[in-house]
Amino acid sequence: MPPGISTSDFYYILPELVLTGGALLVLIADVLLPRGSKALAWVTLLAIGATIASLVPFGSTHVEVAHGLLAVDQFALFFKIVFLGAAALTVLMSVRYLEIEGASPGEYYFLILCATLGMMIMAGGIDLLTIFIGLETMAVSFYILAGFIKPNQRSNEAAVKYFLLGAFSLGILLYGMSIMYGLSGTTNLRTMATAFVGQERDPRLVLAVILVVAGLGFKIAAVPFHMWAPDVYEGAPTPVTAFLSVGSKAASFAMLLRIFLEGLPSMSADWRLMFEVLAIVTMTIGNLAALTQTNIKRMLAYSSIAHAGYILIGVVAGTPRGVAAMLIYLLIYAFMQLGAFTIIIIMRRQDVVGDELKDFSGLHIRHPFAAFAMLLFMLSLGGIPPTAGFMGKFWLFGAAIDAGYVRLAVIGVLNSAISLYYYIRLVVFMYLKPQGAGSPVTTSPSLGIALAVAVIGTIFLGVYPRLLFDLAEMSARTLGVAAVTAAIR
Amino acid sequence: MLLLIPLLPFVGFLLNASFGRRISKAAAGAIACGSMLASFGVSTIAVWRLVGLPPESRALAQTVLRWITSGDFDVSFTLRVDPLSALMILVVTGIGSLIHIYSTAYMHEERDSEYARYFSYLNLFAAFMLVLVLGSNFLVMFVGWEGVGLCSYLLIGFWYQKESAADAGKKAFIVNRIGDFGFILGMLLAFVRFGTLDFQEIARSVAALRPETTFGTLSALTLLLFVGATGKSAQIPLHVWLPDAMEGPTPVSALIHAATMVTAGVYMIGRNAVLFGHAPHTLTIVAIIGTATALMAGTIGLVQNDIKRVLAYSTVSQLGYMFLAMGVGAYTAGIFHLFTHAFFKALLFLGSGAVIHALAGEQDLRRMGGLKRELPITYWTFFTGALAIAGVPLLAGFFSKDEILYRTFAGGHLWLWTVGLLTSLLTATYMFRVVFLAFHGERAGEHPAPSTEHPAPSTQRHLHDAPPAMALALIVLAAGSVLAGYVGVPRAVGGSNRIEQFLAPSFGEVRLKPDATNDARAALLQPGQERQEEAASATEGLERGLMGVSSAIALGGIGIAWFFFLKKKRAADEMAVRFAGVHRVLANKYYVDEMYEAAVVQPIRIASDEGLWNGVDVRVIDGAVNGVGGLVGGSSSALRRIQTGSVRLYAVSVMLGVVVILGYYVWR
Amino acid sequence: MGQAIAFYTLAAFILGFAVLVVTTKDTVHSVLFLVLDFLFVAALYVLLDAPFLAVIQVLVYAGGIVVLYLFVVMLVNLKRPPEAHHDPHRRTKLGLFLAVAVLLELGAIAVYQTTRPVLSVPGAPMPVTGNTEQVGWLLYTSYLIPFEIASMLLLVAMIGAIVLAKREL
Repeated sequence: MPPGISTSDFYYILPELVLTGGALLVLIADVLLPRGSKALAWVTLLAIGATIASLVPFGSTHVEVAHGLLAVDQFALFFKIVFLGAAALTVLMSVRYLEIEGASPGEYYFLILCATLGMMIMAGGIDLLTIFIGLETMAVSFYILAGFIKPNQRSNEAAVKYFLLGAFSLGILLYGMSIMYGLSGTTNLRTMATAFVGQERDPRLVLAVILVVAGLGFKIAAVPFHMWAPDVYEGAPTPVTAFLSVGSKAASFAMLLRIFLEGLPSMSADWRLMFEVLAIVTMTIGNLAALTQTNIKRMLAYSSIAHAGYILIGVVAGTPRGVAAMLIYLLIYAFMQLGAFTIIIIMRRQDVVGDELKDFSGLHIRHPFAAFAMLLFMLSLGGIPPTAGFMGKFWLFGAAIDAGYVRLAVIGVLNSAISLYYYIRLVVFMYLKPQGAGSPVTTSPSLGIALAVAVIGTIFLGVYPRLLFDLAEMSARTLGVAAVTAAIR
Repeated sequence: MLLLIPLLPFVGFLLNASFGRRISKAAAGAIACGSMLASFGVSTIAVWRLVGLPPESRALAQTVLRWITSGDFDVSFTLRVDPLSALMILVVTGIGSLIHIYSTAYMHEERDSEYARYFSYLNLFAAFMLVLVLGSNFLVMFVGWEGVGLCSYLLIGFWYQKESAADAGKKAFIVNRIGDFGFILGMLLAFVRFGTLDFQEIARSVAALRPETTFGTLSALTLLLFVGATGKSAQIPLHVWLPDAMEGPTPVSALIHAATMVTAGVYMIGRNAVLFGHAPHTLTIVAIIGTATALMAGTIGLVQNDIKRVLAYSTVSQLGYMFLAMGVGAYTAGIFHLFTHAFFKALLFLGSGAVIHALAGEQDLRRMGGLKRELPITYWTFFTGALAIAGVPLLAGFFSKDEILYRTFAGGHLWLWTVGLLTSLLTATYMFRVVFLAFHGERAGEHPAPSTEHPAPSTQRHLHDAPPAMALALIVLAAGSVLAGYVGVPRAVGGSNRIEQFLAPSFGEVRLKPDATNDARAALLQPGQERQEEAASATEGLERGLMGVSSAIALGGIGIAWFFFLKKKRAADEMAVRFAGVHRVLANKYYVDEMYEAAVVQPIRIASDEGLWNGVDVRVIDGAVNGVGGLVGGSSSALRRIQTGSVRLYAVSVMLGVVVILGYYVWR
Repeated sequence: MGQAIAFYTLAAFILGFAVLVVTTKDTVHSVLFLVLDFLFVAALYVLLDAPFLAVIQVLVYAGGIVVLYLFVVMLVNLKRPPEAHHDPHRRTKLGLFLAVAVLLELGAIAVYQTTRPVLSVPGAPMPVTGNTEQVGWLLYTSYLIPFEIASMLLLVAMIGAIVLAKREL
């Protein structure tokens, strides 16, 4: 019988506790503050800021909490920073959007914070139970957020689709997890890893791996588990889409790395093969499908699918360098993707929805800075130097080559060449087409901040990526990857 | 200090991009020209300091920041000037400045905001081009490589009201993507093979190897890089974008699509001369592609009627020449031709711009004629340029072109030499066809100009010659076209071929560490160089003889043009009728665009119509068709239905994924 | 041996009712089959010596959730036939095909498995006998943190229900 929980465990989950408290505070503040007050957004940002501050003491901690349910290490820390940063940008983006859509901000911000909480648990979890509950918290929050704009038919449809398919895929994931538990008698990933050594040929284990791959493939929107993404991305409120495509994806990748690198290193031959095929298919289909989209949100959905394919390359490599490349890419991706969505939100005005390609016509005349920023994000997503996106891709493909997967790098390069076509098409509309219709394009202070952060991040990480590289490599090493690579080779 | 060279134009770009809409045209123009001239000044100082160094250690470097470091892998954002890049920065900033000055007058009819936009793009282009040539490793070069591509793309489509301009921009972009794909792969392969991306380090490790006798890694990697070069420098089969790129403003055509950017491919091969030197198979391919392109473009140039298109094909043809030089290992000759070509081709484009400007947008040669009297400055400068490109003795083009032909001959490539000579005849002919049709004879009558380049208020105004700013640029370039060749007068006619001595360290004789064994090996491994040395001393007579031949050819070409297009104009038409088939093939540019249409675009379109892809959620084929054709437009409703399809279908897709993966394992 | 017989009998019932749930035309009948299914799953828990879980299964699933389903079914009134399609069995066929494929594959794995030794796990922990006290003990000690997170999850679900259900702010 394992002994009870100790008080020190609560110290280590301080950031989670702060965030939970913040979320509850938002709910209370919603009641107390006058209706329509913008202060609520600042309360939310305060909660996020406090959580980030509470991460400070754990800069170099590396412990397991509550007998192996959660790990507090730099890997989790890195992801937590990504999640919190993305959440903060999302809140900044949402202020004017909610006003235009006439949605109530209280529950919205609460759900954003709860989704973030779920993500943090997912990144820290080293036990299937914890990871699963984190995943559920995040997923349920997103189901509701996707349908938050109730009068909008598309938003409702997105929520229902996401919910049904999410539940479906969760079932598959859970089936896989239960087989893993059944075979090892434990839910702890690290214990599981030792139990599975020498069981590589067990077909039941292979079945479990396949099911978990499928379940997680849904979460990261890998082909063929991706079909929900375009519909949901298009229909959901734009800031939610932004958060979904960045936060949810990053959290799912964190979970994926935890499960496969910490829990199933002995099965690496199998899951590497699966992820390699998935990566290739995902990149290719995602990019080809994005080519013809005329709705920017939909285009970014397919682009985000393609990016999941790129990031999977890091999993296939499986080396510390590959994992570091994934962390780097996820952070860079957060900046450019959130930036692109910020522009779409800026385009949302009372009379214009602003997510169609033609709405961007002649943007460089209407709002030169927004057009330039979008140009930057598109170039970065396409991987043109010296933007951050190039650095991310360079690192990923470099890691693939390093691990002996030259073919993956080649396919990746080919795909990024294809992808430039649709990114540049948007640039054509902004720079080489006459002005579109509608009221003037303006930014609000909060949107301005969000945009500035994204622009600076995209440029800075492209010009001076060393800091991030060092951080990511340090974080990747704490994943216990070293043991994994030893097992692989 | 080196950082200032690209930074100054970049600051110009920032200023014009941010405040361009609020300041006057004069101010915008002054910012742009000032930043370019300042950059030229800094470049001159840098080159001056470089020349002051002893030849074996001529290289200045500045590391702006250590870009990527991880373990043993280290890429810095380093700029480096060595003789080769010194020449390039002088060309880019020098000719760039002139073209900026020219543009202040040429673009004067644009609105204020458009004017500033134009100059901001032009400055940005210059900044990226300078990064391209100054970069000390592949990655920095690639920054410039992609940057100039983007600017070129934006400038081709500058008059976006014109549908054809936007399409041309798109075409340039798509074709260049194919090239870039090769370039990136080549770069990655170089990284895998050598563990570094620095040009000098790669050259050093390659120098220790023997040249590949079979098709191996080095051949593959250089071939991939060459694919990149064919895209950027418009060689077969990726040459199709350059003629269309003439939809952009004429100064842009002069700067980007003649003098600088399109030579990036040649420069890249020169930069990696040692690497390419170790892949003889690739070099052979380079030489053949270059020669074929030169000939093909030259023949097409003969029958084009748009003055700018003739010049565009001429550019493609001359680039072919440069690749021929690279392919036969005559790197100096190739770069020398790049250098002189920048002068006379910029001059010819600017001259044609002056004509177009004077004629309120008319570009059709058949509607010109007799402009000699009304546009004297334009005429004489254009004439000089035409003489230079034709290879008339004592002008710039003569020395450089002759050098290439001589090296080709001396290297034993008799067939390539013959084709090169034929091309040189064609060059003289089509250039003087332009001269005679546009400036001599009688004006073919007034036509209201249909072109939108210069929507002039009245068509019946008095023709005015180039305004001062344009004239200045023309005269300086004309002087350059006459004199630029004298840096490379061959020894055979009493010169000292300074440029060869100057550039030599960049092409493999760089010895950073004077190391005896290394020296000996390097000397051994430069057979081409050795052979050239011998040939130069032993066969001066041969060289003089070949010079005579090419002079005669150039004059002969001019003579043919004179006969057909001035003396007996009917003869040209008769020829066209008699050889109607050939004429049609040439006028249709060998049907290359149609071939692409038939070989790439149509099959995809048919496949999509057959419905092979129904049920797939992606509009794969639709996308590819639109993508290749550059016609991305409306969405097909049928596919939209699939996309917003039912949840069950999506679930089926998920299950299908599971079934397939499971099936694979069960089957195994 | 007796346990095996009991297990396979229960399993057969569970599967049979599951098939009936998805094949019955009448929605109310379908929900009722679901109740039966849940009850047999509860029996399975008893068989596994986890009486507490069995009771919870009956209370929460068979009791609470299914009653909710019934309410929904009756309120929404799904008696109306599904929309016509030119091939009404198209989707069913596809689903059937996939189901059969998965079953065959799982069967293949099971067959393959019997030829291999059973996986013995070193130190399989937590001999939970499933009585209420032990479950409670674990929930409030070792698994306190997930338990608390689960409470947040329920709060999110509750807020979500309110957000989706309320008409006006």
